[in-house]
Amino acid sequence: MSTYKLYYFDGRGRGEISRLILAAAGQKFEDIRYQKNEWPSHKSEMPLGQIPVLEIDGIKLPQSMTIARFLARQFHLTGKDNLEQAKVEAVADTATDLLNKFGPIIWYQEEPQKKASIDEFFANELPKHLRNLETLAKAYNEGSSFFVGKNLTFADLCVYDVLENILEVDANILDQYPWLKTNGQKVAKHPNVAIYLESRLRTAF
Amino acid sequence: MSTYKLYYFNGRGRAEISRLIFAAAGQKYEDVRFEREQWPGHKSEMPLGQVPVLEVDGTKLPQSTSMARFLAKQFQLAGKDNFEQAKVDAVVDTINDAITKFLPSRMEQDEAKKQELMNKFFADELPAHLQQLEVLGKLYGNGGAFFVGNQLTWADLYLFEMTNNLLQANGNCLDKHAWLKQNRAEVEKQPKIAEYIKNRPQTPF
Repeated sequence: MSTYKLYYFDGRGRGEISRLILAAAGQKFEDIRYQKNEWPSHKSEMPLGQIPVLEIDGIKLPQSMTIARFLARQFHLTGKDNLEQAKVEAVADTATDLLNKFGPIIWYQEEPQKKASIDEFFANELPKHLRNLETLAKAYNEGSSFFVGKNLTFADLCVYDVLENILEVDANILDQYPWLKTNGQKVAKHPNVAIYLESRLRTAF
Repeated sequence: MSTYKLYYFNGRGRAEISRLIFAAAGQKYEDVRFEREQWPGHKSEMPLGQVPVLEVDGTKLPQSTSMARFLAKQFQLAGKDNFEQAKVDAVVDTINDAITKFLPSRMEQDEAKKQELMNKFFADELPAHLQQLEVLGKLYGNGGAFFVGNQLTWADLYLFEMTNNLLQANGNCLDKHAWLKQNRAEVEKQPKIAEYIKNRPQTPF
């Protein structure tokens, strides 16, 4: 029985996808959260001076998406064979492209630049990412409400996590994307995920 | 026996890692290269309107890193178990972080601005990334010259390709990084890689 320790800030950011996977899997883990002022003294303990980091049986693994992929494979929340796993990862990469555009705006920018950037993002950037996600869903979902195959995978969790950040700013962004809306609802209703979401503490990011 | 088709521009760019994996594996594939003026006519055939795309037995996979990971797993170049695969992935993600920072200077058209961005990248940005890669090599490399598990994986191939591009722009950039230089030498020595490098098309990117 392996032991898992996740180190991150006290927020969702780039750590939440791993928490969602562990929750969906019903796997216990130590959820270490650094406050901003605590972090500098722990920076040198992390291989790349960055978090999130996953520690498995004492060995540290950096890089948020590597951690997520590893956990998804450990707990059978990725595709059932190599090709399906590649489809799951293509969806996750596409969601990450979106997070890489939106994340820095909400995490690092200040007003009034933040509002201008968000408006620009919603007008010129977001639609094509949502269209891309629906395109991949149609290609890989075998007619189901999940992104790949007919079961929950970390593709669904990854998209859910990324879109949560955007829905916080505008709850209507999925109105033109019924498939994505239904997919999000299915994720939130998954028994283990529902329990996790209900008990999760609200954080600023 | 699967059939593989790789679609990209006529260049190395984001497809070359997949080509290197095919070469290391000795696997035949159709290497489809679009010239710039041909590409608009094919854009709509690709899931996300982008290349590279890997077509496996008729199924199209976008996203350069996921495609490469799929191929690496197909041909046992990804790490021998889930945890090793995660270590390899962590190296790949760290290389991608460096490439992301390198791209603006590489893509800049204005010569004067390009030179300025390049100088800044090599002086201020790259050293930290190279240091991070050496940290991972020492952490996961078991004292050997390969990044993970004392054998060639696609992490080594990916570093090789990235550093080729870096060295073209600045021939001294690895002078302080003996471990990375040694790792490159190991890759260059692989007979199938040496053969591939000798014969591959010379392209501007």
